[in-house]
Amino acid sequence: MRLSNPAERSGLEADAMRHPKNKRDPSSDDSIIRIEHLSKIFQDKKRTVIAVDDVTFDVKRGEIFGLLGPNGAGKSTLIRILTTLLRPSSGTAFVGPYEITKDPEQIRRIIGVCPQNSTLDTELTAYDNLEFYGKLEDVDDRILPDRIWELLQMVGLTDRAYMKVQTFSGGMKRKLEIVRAFIHRPLILFLDEPTIGLDPESRREVWQQIETLNAENTTIILTTHYMDEAEKLCGRIAFVNQGRLISLDTMDNLRLLLPEGDLIEIGFDQMDERVMSEIRAFDLVISAEVKDQRLFISARRGSTVLPAILAVFERYSVPLITIAIRSPSLEDVFIHLTGKNLSDGLPGGDADHKGKGRGYGR
Amino acid sequence: MIKGAIAIFKRDFKKFLGNPFVIIFTLLMPIMYLVIFGNAMGGSISHVSLAVVQEEPYVTGTPMFDVVVADLKHMAQRDSPPTFDIIVYTDELKAKRALQNGAVSGVLIFPSPHFSDRPMRLYVDSSDSVTPSVIISGVNAAIVQSGFRSQVEIYKIYGDIKYLQFFGVGVIVMAIFMTTMMGGGIALIKDREMGIIEGYFVTPVKRSSIIMGMIASGTVRAFLSGFVIFVVDLLITGIVLQTTENFFMVLLVLFITSIGITSFMVSMASRFSNQQEYASMSAFFNLILFMTSGAFYPVIGMPDWLRWITIINPEYYAVHALRSIILRGQGLDVIGLDLIALSIFSVAAMILGIATYRRTLE
Repeated sequence: MRLSNPAERSGLEADAMRHPKNKRDPSSDDSIIRIEHLSKIFQDKKRTVIAVDDVTFDVKRGEIFGLLGPNGAGKSTLIRILTTLLRPSSGTAFVGPYEITKDPEQIRRIIGVCPQNSTLDTELTAYDNLEFYGKLEDVDDRILPDRIWELLQMVGLTDRAYMKVQTFSGGMKRKLEIVRAFIHRPLILFLDEPTIGLDPESRREVWQQIETLNAENTTIILTTHYMDEAEKLCGRIAFVNQGRLISLDTMDNLRLLLPEGDLIEIGFDQMDERVMSEIRAFDLVISAEVKDQRLFISARRGSTVLPAILAVFERYSVPLITIAIRSPSLEDVFIHLTGKNLSDGLPGGDADHKGKGRGYGR
Repeated sequence: MIKGAIAIFKRDFKKFLGNPFVIIFTLLMPIMYLVIFGNAMGGSISHVSLAVVQEEPYVTGTPMFDVVVADLKHMAQRDSPPTFDIIVYTDELKAKRALQNGAVSGVLIFPSPHFSDRPMRLYVDSSDSVTPSVIISGVNAAIVQSGFRSQVEIYKIYGDIKYLQFFGVGVIVMAIFMTTMMGGGIALIKDREMGIIEGYFVTPVKRSSIIMGMIASGTVRAFLSGFVIFVVDLLITGIVLQTTENFFMVLLVLFITSIGITSFMVSMASRFSNQQEYASMSAFFNLILFMTSGAFYPVIGMPDWLRWITIINPEYYAVHALRSIILRGQGLDVIGLDLIALSIFSVAAMILGIATYRRTLE
């Protein structure tokens, strides 16, 4: 927890030092979104929720920017403010050269958005949904039909073009929604949890799409709580928790924060101290700690050392309940920064979450 | 089984209590039926405008004229305003023209004193199902009271019009309001409820475009249903339109009425975010508008305070215009005012709708 502040500062300061002009110059070539002391407070009779709390950062032109945080961290609220759906309580932000409260119409012309909850009209067909958006986004009528077919092709929905969206599976809907967001080739693309509810293959397809778009110079802002997604796609990552920006850095720098080697996690009932000391004695084991009936081992070449570790358990007849081995991921960075899991507070993991309550913090 | 039923009951009841707006309107509705319907139907007829003319050579003032007119002026039902508003004309032709234009409901012509054996002539606007009998009985009573003995010849200028024919015209307007009630702005609210708006609020589409698009679609639907009922009405009531010009004028009135009522409903919808609330509100307004439109019962049967509503009621002008064309064969000179009133109402409703539409999620 305590580590979060230096990390945040170093990231932001480094950023500011590299681009000293950015702060006040809206025409700067390098930053395309500038967020300055942005806050959003939701109020009703019963309570006041600070969904976004004094957030300041820049997004650079042409990058894939990841916004990470647990549910209710304020990611979606931040996206909604930047996409002109909500007004900030205080602070300001520029999207392109435009200020969010003064020029919302100009901003809407240059952005594409895939919101977190489905906004497809399920009574219309896939084609009609795309056509509707194409028209609203003012896509040239001469190229619109071709563009629609191109997008349908991209997500493999050409054979379903004239079927109502309500007959689609969750994954199909999600993919349709994603391609709809860039029907007009926006300058900036906001994707709010784009791959939620998708199977692994579809996720990879979506990632492919995102990378292709980025290669065509689209700046992409992505919120997610899937670490692998952020690791795979994002150049820079901002961690948000309880409305605050707790860290912002490049993926490469964040990797330096990752623990070395592999992580082995062993659940047990009763631990024997001799087991601990034997395990710690292994060359490949970097550290071993016990916490909540679990043994956390950090080891180089974890799969090689695992059988030996298990053998120790066997020798002292300590029964095992669970074993897990994995490579450290951004999730561990997040735990390192915040002291909690990304999926904390999520009943049933990261399955799905609906409703308007999201974005209101916890 | 009981447990399940109780659970369902509790859920439903919680929803009911959580929606005070609907509770208020469900109570308001019968009260309004009582007050408006009770007063609008079967109220005592008052303020019937009746023209009186003394035949040449006297401009005014035969003894019979003075006495009968004075009697008519003071005629009233208990606790009601005077039954007749007497307008003295000096020219029989002018009086008859006023009758044709609908400015007065009847013309009573006193015979010249030189030909006292000639009967009095009473012309009544028979397109109205109730007022002719009020006028006829009122005039007869006044003559008996005056002590003069005179025959009265009655001319129904539009022949005998049945209540069915009178009411049928109102039903055409009812078709329009039914369509707007079911369709109208409900799609806007559905979009808001389902979160679909979040999708198109981030596009450059203007809120005026959203409102005008909704009004256009609603107008077409309302017009079509109005037209169908118009044709059905002609078939059932056996009314024959006199000229093709009249036919097209009916279409014009139907169209402008559809715009007016649809605009009103859509402008209401632009403020609501709950379908149930909107449905009860629109039922409420539609009922008031229809009750006071004169579709069931002539407007002069309403108490004065209720008649004020008709001044801002588009359906009143619509019913009046349609009756003028369909039952009386009158032209633009009579319905011009109705068309202007309907247009003013439509424009006001559109502006209201656009101005109050929330183009953010807040």
